[in-house]
Amino acid sequence: MIDISLFVLMLLGALLALAVYLPLRAGQLSLATPGFYTIGGTVAALLSTQLPGLGGSDAVYPLTSLLLEMIVAIAVAGLLAFLIGKPVLKLRGIYLAIATIALVEILRVVLLSSPWFGAAVGIFAIPQPFEGPEGYLIAYGLLLAIVAWACARLERQPLGMAMAAIRDDELAARCMGVSTDQVKLIAFVLSAIVAAAAGVLAAHYFNSWNARQANFDASITTLAFVVLGGSRTWLGPVIGGLVLTALPELLRPIGDLRLIVFGLVILLGPIFIPQGLIKSKQS
Amino acid sequence: MSAPTSTNNLLEIEQLSVCFGGLQALDRVNLSINEGEILGLIGPNGAGKTTLFNVITGLTAPSHGKLRWQGNSLAGKKPEQICRLGLARTFQNLRLFRELSCINNLQVAMGSNNRRAALELLALVQLQEKADAAAASLAYGDQRKLEFARALATKPKLLLLDEAAAGMNPIEKQDLQALVQRVRCQFKITILIIEHHVPLMMQLCDRLAVLNFGRCIALGSPEQVRRDPLVIEAYLGSQR
Repeated sequence: MIDISLFVLMLLGALLALAVYLPLRAGQLSLATPGFYTIGGTVAALLSTQLPGLGGSDAVYPLTSLLLEMIVAIAVAGLLAFLIGKPVLKLRGIYLAIATIALVEILRVVLLSSPWFGAAVGIFAIPQPFEGPEGYLIAYGLLLAIVAWACARLERQPLGMAMAAIRDDELAARCMGVSTDQVKLIAFVLSAIVAAAAGVLAAHYFNSWNARQANFDASITTLAFVVLGGSRTWLGPVIGGLVLTALPELLRPIGDLRLIVFGLVILLGPIFIPQGLIKSKQS
Repeated sequence: MSAPTSTNNLLEIEQLSVCFGGLQALDRVNLSINEGEILGLIGPNGAGKTTLFNVITGLTAPSHGKLRWQGNSLAGKKPEQICRLGLARTFQNLRLFRELSCINNLQVAMGSNNRRAALELLALVQLQEKADAAAASLAYGDQRKLEFARALATKPKLLLLDEAAAGMNPIEKQDLQALVQRVRCQFKITILIIEHHVPLMMQLCDRLAVLNFGRCIALGSPEQVRRDPLVIEAYLGSQR
């Protein structure tokens, strides 16, 4: 029997996968997604529990407040990504990955050690805008639809093409007049925005929020979504996020063996389908 | 050999030197490129031709010397800025956006998703039927043509072609010559071309510059250059 909450998590997985996909489309291996996701969740948790004016004590948390949280979270994460992205994106390949892992770790430690952010216990009793998981399913579905639509549009725009050009050959892209630093920064900021928006909903859905949301495991899991699904079009990460979130649950009947199967999928995927499940239409 | 500064000098290269550690890749090169001309750059392997291209397009910083584009210094400009000033290049070892379609390759260079303009450029190099094929799937000669079109898509005033005919068969070389000449007239651009096929360069270029061991040893009409004893020595060795 599959619970409806699994579908909510699958949609969340797809959103986070799109957040990983955006910089990766521009050839930038950023593992910062869980960090910005955590920022989104923390913003939502703080605002909804600390600002009575938003309606945290109402029977049903107002959707307008949820929207407001979303805007604040997007602004905070976007600004942070902009400021951090400038220096960090000067790093290439694996060094960028390492720097972004460090970013997630720093964030986790900051949250863990400051009572203001809930410290080790976290923030509890986050008010509920929806009565059951169905509401979250619709909200996540809507958010995913918007983000996926925006990504699909982006891919046909000069910016999206420039991102793919950087992935293929950064030097040639520069020689063809592409401001590669700027394009990479935009991709990084967009990624942070998507992750933060997903985090806002997650904080409400999980009802409590703590520093453990930002960790290295989450970085790798979200990366695996894109590795399996493919990083050439928006559909790849979406499929990857849905499948890999569902897989451990679907495999639950086989017990601990499921972890082995899950590991094999991640291991064998890049070997047999290096471009991922969803390939670009040209090849 | 230092040309007088006149208004029709598009690019002036003055006393340009590049050292890689102990290697003097370019040694006090002076060269002025006149608006509208096809200037050929020849010389043995390792003479510094591609290094000169890399300096002009901002990929390599000069150790000494100056570059002036329409009277303004190019010092410290990034490759993308130089491209936007109107200098575009192709690469000796093709550097296409391999996974992108042909048309997307051009659209990136144009900075717009105007499909019609991109198709027109593809038609110019007779690749319109391959518009939606991945660049990497093209035959080698077609990839060269696509790179040529991609450089044109940036709307350059000066087009730098690095070994434009490498790997092409004689018929393709003839086509390329016609194409370069047509493009010069149609787009009113100046062309600096590196190519090893000397007979082609003799026919195609208004002037030829010869590099050897990083020095510009000859500059003039193809006829002048062909008779230059220094050039003959560089290519065939000294008579003693």
